[in-house]
Amino acid sequence: MAKRITIDPITRIEGHLRIDCEIDGGHVTKAWSSGQMWRGIETILRGRDPRDAWIFTQRFCGV
Amino acid sequence: MRIDQESIEHDNIAGLSRRDFVKFCSTLAVGMGLPVGMGAQIAEAVTVQKRPPVLWLSAQECTGCTETLLRTSHPTLEKLILELISLEYHETLLVGAGRQAEDWREKSMKENKGKYILVVDGSIPTKDNGIYCKIGGKTALALLGEMAADAAAVIAIGSCASWGGVPSADPNPTGATPAHEVLKSRGIKTPVVNIPGCPPNPYNFLSTVLYFVTFKKLPELDDQSRPKFAYGRLIHENCERRPHFDAGRFAIQFGDEGHRKGYCLYKLGCKGPETFANCPIQLFNDVGSGAWPVGTGHPCFGCSEKGVGFTLPLHSPARPKYVTPPSIFPGIEAHKSGGASIAAAAVVAGLAGAALGAGAVTVKKLGEKEEGRKGTEE
Repeated sequence: MAKRITIDPITRIEGHLRIDCEIDGGHVTKAWSSGQMWRGIETILRGRDPRDAWIFTQRFCGV
Repeated sequence: MRIDQESIEHDNIAGLSRRDFVKFCSTLAVGMGLPVGMGAQIAEAVTVQKRPPVLWLSAQECTGCTETLLRTSHPTLEKLILELISLEYHETLLVGAGRQAEDWREKSMKENKGKYILVVDGSIPTKDNGIYCKIGGKTALALLGEMAADAAAVIAIGSCASWGGVPSADPNPTGATPAHEVLKSRGIKTPVVNIPGCPPNPYNFLSTVLYFVTFKKLPELDDQSRPKFAYGRLIHENCERRPHFDAGRFAIQFGDEGHRKGYCLYKLGCKGPETFANCPIQLFNDVGSGAWPVGTGHPCFGCSEKGVGFTLPLHSPARPKYVTPPSIFPGIEAHKSGGASIAAAAVVAGLAGAALGAGAVTVKKLGEKEEGRKGTEE
């Protein structure tokens, strides 16, 4: 019988990460990683002056 | 205020000698417009009493606000921030993960109820019941409500938490909302301080925390809940390129003669005339003069100002708040008893020209007068 483990939040990284995994007989058989935050920067960029793009894309990640 | 050396237990605080530590606190005190002597009071407050618990909630953020704190080098701020305050919860820095991290947060909130400082970075997505940001299965929206209700004060660090920032830019796909608006809509009365900037200057944040720890109240705030000591003046008012603005000397394109000579960046879209922040004075990264956007030759884009940063196009001209560029420039009237010679005027203008706005105008006008005087004598 597979057991499911969820680790959320994953700390010491930038952003909000969640890991789900299925364990069967002491082995990870399936695993999922998912970002738990969305800002829609691609949507925000549409229709803007291209010279402004870096202001937004640079801020995907501040690390 | 004299401090009793005996009352302070540690000779070494946050890896600094006592002397260096008081010096550091005095620098912060002066930055806030407090008398130098207050530095000792701040130092005493943070060393004698129990370290204040701080919980840090990250929502729609990029971690740039955490980075700005970690990258401060003088003194080693990461040591100071970890040893001065008791950082109870911070997703990027916590050793524990998952349930362990969340259990600790809940335990700390309970034990320090009404006493902890809640720092928020990132905006709060409110659209679709806040599903665009979740931590441990809870939405940031729910977490903020829960954590702010029992906090002594909330410090919103960065533009996202202060007024929405990048995620709230049109068309704001996730309903990104600043912390103070979420609190207001939920009827939570905990006081909020906004430290906008993308990222903000770490000293503005640290000064606010130390002020709160020392005086048990928040520093004086403006109508947008920003500390006046940091956001009281326009960038334009303290800009080292201001004399060029006043003299009408502008860079028109990147790399043109005016740009190479360090002229005013207004015509490249600099938003200094409508952005309130202390960037030209506080500077960044402790590396000396010029270490801020305009100092490096790039126009300010108003990252800290609501309705400017991430809102107005980068290269559109600013709408100056207090002053507009004059269509004519007044000459500088020189009192002349004997009359200045052209050579003397040139020396004066040469010395003052770099710092004084209408240097070129002065030379021209004095020259005209010199000629006029000669004319009447003959």
